[in-house]
Amino acid sequence: MTAYIQFLIDVLSLGGAYALMALGLVIVYGILRLVNFAYGELIMVTGYTMFLLGGSALPWIVMAAIGVLMAILAGIATDYVAFRPVRAKSVTAVLITSFAFSTLLQNAALLFISPRPRNVPLPDIFSETVHFAGIVTPARNLITIATAVILLAVFAWVMKRTVLGIAMRAAATHFTMARMLGVPANLIISTAFAISGFLAGIVSLFWIGRIGSVVPGIGLEPLLVAFIATVIGGMRSLQGAVLGGFLLAFIDTGLNYSLPQELLKFRDAFTFSLVILILLWRPAGLMKGPASGQRT
Amino acid sequence: MAGMKDTALTLVILIALVVALVVGAEIAEIRLFGRIATNLCISLVLVLGLQVFMGNSGILSFAHIGFMGVGAYTSAVLTIPAQMKGMALPDLYPVLAAIQLSPYIAILIGGLTAAVVAALVSYPLMRLSDAAAVITSFALLVVLHTVMLHWSEITNGPRTLFGIPKATDLYLAAGIAILAIIGAMLFRESRTGLLLRATRDDETAAGAIGADVSRLRWKAFIISALFAGIGGALWGHFITSFSPKAFYLKETFVILGMLVIGGAPTVSGAVIGVFLVTFSFEVLRAFEASLNAAKIFTGQVVGVTEIVLALAMIAILILRPGGLFATMEIGVLFGRRRQKASEGEKQ
Amino acid sequence: MLDVAALELRYGAIRAVRDVSLTVGEGELVALLGANGAGKSSTLRAIAGAHKPASGTIRLNGENVTNQSPERMVRNGVAMVPETRDVFPDLTVAENLRLGAFTRRSDEAGVDEDTQRMFRLFPILSERAEQAGGTLSGGEQQMLVIARALMSRPRLLLLDEPSLGLAPTIVGRIFDMIAELKSGGLTMLLVEQNAAKALAVADRAYVMRSGEIAAEGTAADIAAASDLKALYLGG
Ligand SMILES: Nc1ncnc2c1ncn2[C@@H]1O[C@H](COP(=O)(O)OP(=O)(O)O)[C@@H](O)[C@H]1O
Ligand SMILES: [Mg+2]
Repeated sequence: MTAYIQFLIDVLSLGGAYALMALGLVIVYGILRLVNFAYGELIMVTGYTMFLLGGSALPWIVMAAIGVLMAILAGIATDYVAFRPVRAKSVTAVLITSFAFSTLLQNAALLFISPRPRNVPLPDIFSETVHFAGIVTPARNLITIATAVILLAVFAWVMKRTVLGIAMRAAATHFTMARMLGVPANLIISTAFAISGFLAGIVSLFWIGRIGSVVPGIGLEPLLVAFIATVIGGMRSLQGAVLGGFLLAFIDTGLNYSLPQELLKFRDAFTFSLVILILLWRPAGLMKGPASGQRT
Repeated sequence: MAGMKDTALTLVILIALVVALVVGAEIAEIRLFGRIATNLCISLVLVLGLQVFMGNSGILSFAHIGFMGVGAYTSAVLTIPAQMKGMALPDLYPVLAAIQLSPYIAILIGGLTAAVVAALVSYPLMRLSDAAAVITSFALLVVLHTVMLHWSEITNGPRTLFGIPKATDLYLAAGIAILAIIGAMLFRESRTGLLLRATRDDETAAGAIGADVSRLRWKAFIISALFAGIGGALWGHFITSFSPKAFYLKETFVILGMLVIGGAPTVSGAVIGVFLVTFSFEVLRAFEASLNAAKIFTGQVVGVTEIVLALAMIAILILRPGGLFATMEIGVLFGRRRQKASEGEKQ
Repeated sequence: MLDVAALELRYGAIRAVRDVSLTVGEGELVALLGANGAGKSSTLRAIAGAHKPASGTIRLNGENVTNQSPERMVRNGVAMVPETRDVFPDLTVAENLRLGAFTRRSDEAGVDEDTQRMFRLFPILSERAEQAGGTLSGGEQQMLVIARALMSRPRLLLLDEPSLGLAPTIVGRIFDMIAELKSGGLTMLLVEQNAAKALAVADRAYVMRSGEIAAEGTAADIAAASDLKALYLGG
């Protein structure tokens, strides 16, 4: 029994982080058809902001807020540097600019900070463990679960109940029609990038919280995770992204518990082969997204 | 119209560039120049390979560098001297341990292996477009990278593989680069190339005239992987030791940058892009080195080259989305100019 | 109110609309007729700001609005009912309507009041309020799209083939609706294939043929023209 609960906590905490990562990628892809390769760097930005603030006397929560804010700004910067100037051009052009922007941010960190890992301040509670019902688990895991649940609920509420949320959902199906109802394209685009940055920033706090340090390449793994989760979940469905995140966490944790070390190192090869197979079977991802769509 | 004459003129100009490079490096008699020129020629093979697929099909492929790795490792395993294999690849399968081929044959086999792997895995992928195509090619890169990283028997795992015999010199690299230029140009003007470019511009229309889009893309992808494999093997026999890190996102970015800046749709674009980016990189590296020597910054100065390349790519895509040579081969441009000049004389 | 002069529209190399000039006066209902592919929808999309003209000018109450964005045109008081309908299939009927009032989103009381007005105008929508737009029938979707466009309180309504593909009884109801809106003083530009029905409600009409205006006049004149068929088919 305790083993099951342990497993469940592991899946939910990892899944919560994965779901938020996937959601941040899908919100931009769903509306703008942009596979944002610079998404992982948003996570990096929060990490380095925390590192730079590390020496200050600010309470951790303030540093975290500033870190998330910087990710939001970096998200909006992605729009202005890599998306807006080329959005009327080819899909390939947009992909390449986002890839270039990703490299730009990584190398800026390399140049101005360091190629070596830098320590990030962590709140004390992250290193505490919780004992209950015979289970020992890091408090961080439980906080991750709680944060994910709260954020997903708030996100669902915003998308369902606010006019801006409704407009975002509408723009994901038919951007031009939404504009013909008076929804400003730029507002939608900036909001999508800001939400993407916000989610990346929050994820970053937990992701980096596990490792305790940040390096320029930190964003790659979250990016890959978000790719897989969104492909599983249907690349344009917000609910799908969340489900994909939890499903991937279930698969990952399951493999970790069950696969021998010898095969475990090929895990990425397996999961990414799975991604290819899924896309071959269903080019729009496993779960169906909103009806049609186009980028204008 | 881009006729035979323009194609021939383009080939002459591009090959002359490579020849000039070799002659220049020989005259300078500085070892560094020789190295730079050799690296440039290897980049030509790789970028022309990417051009064959991406330029003609219009689809971005991330997997290219993965096939470069396939070629490099294949050729390495086949050529590392038997007595060194015990150290370089302690877990190598006994069948392979005994083999020791001439690097020149192994380079060819490296290319063919990459082509075969590409042929086997890619056919079903070729019907995808847009985001699905990009993510699958990215996933393919991750798969290839993971395999290189962990198939210790063949690759020595994440550790550096050493003991590869040096076989690539400037002449070999330049010779193969010239062949690559000719190959890419022939492909572009072949029936497959023409049809593929038609699909790039209008997929439905090309489908309507009976072009099998997947098959066309598949052919280009295989040839592209052949180039990548040969390029990788050449590089392996030049550098003589490497690890799987050499075949991942950083290199993908450089190769892609060269092609995008020069202009993916044309062979001239690929060639000019390689020259431009290589030379600017060298200047920037020298700049980085002088900064490091002057100790202005506390740490090592790294990453300037990548930052400049990234900015250049973004600028090009905004200002000239097709790259410097977006539609016309260099021979066509020259041909036109000559024609204009002679028309001017007549008047 | 609307003044289009020498409009030219292109799709790449194809010139879909050439030298089209038309006017719509305050409170007028003007029909734009023509065969399939004549360029009616393109013209309407250009007026709505969703298609950038290659040349020509579009004026609204004297102000040049030629290159303005679609969202800007809505704020200028122009609402569009596209021929593709474009109900947002995943949004509920109520959400579709709320989105129609996007430009007035701060005026919550006004938006609620208008929603109720639409529900009275189209009682079926009230029954379906919490249902996803994609689950409605064709006629219901058409009503939803018209209601959604009205939610922005437009001064000029662009209607693109509102009767397309609908059962005759529904078509009748849609045209009753249009007549009602007209008597309420709304200015409209109506694109229709169903020339007889359109001319019955319109004040004036233009006939387009292969991208150009082939004829114009009062609705009665155009209806009386014996060569209406010829105008359509280019005979
Ligand atoms: N998206 C498009 N791309 C290319 N051509 C188009 C497009 N939309 C319309 N056209 C062309 O423009 C012309 C006018 O079309 P349209 O405005 O839809 O006419 P109508 O509404 O009168 O049927 C047609 O020849 C059509 O083929
Ligand atoms: Mg039409």
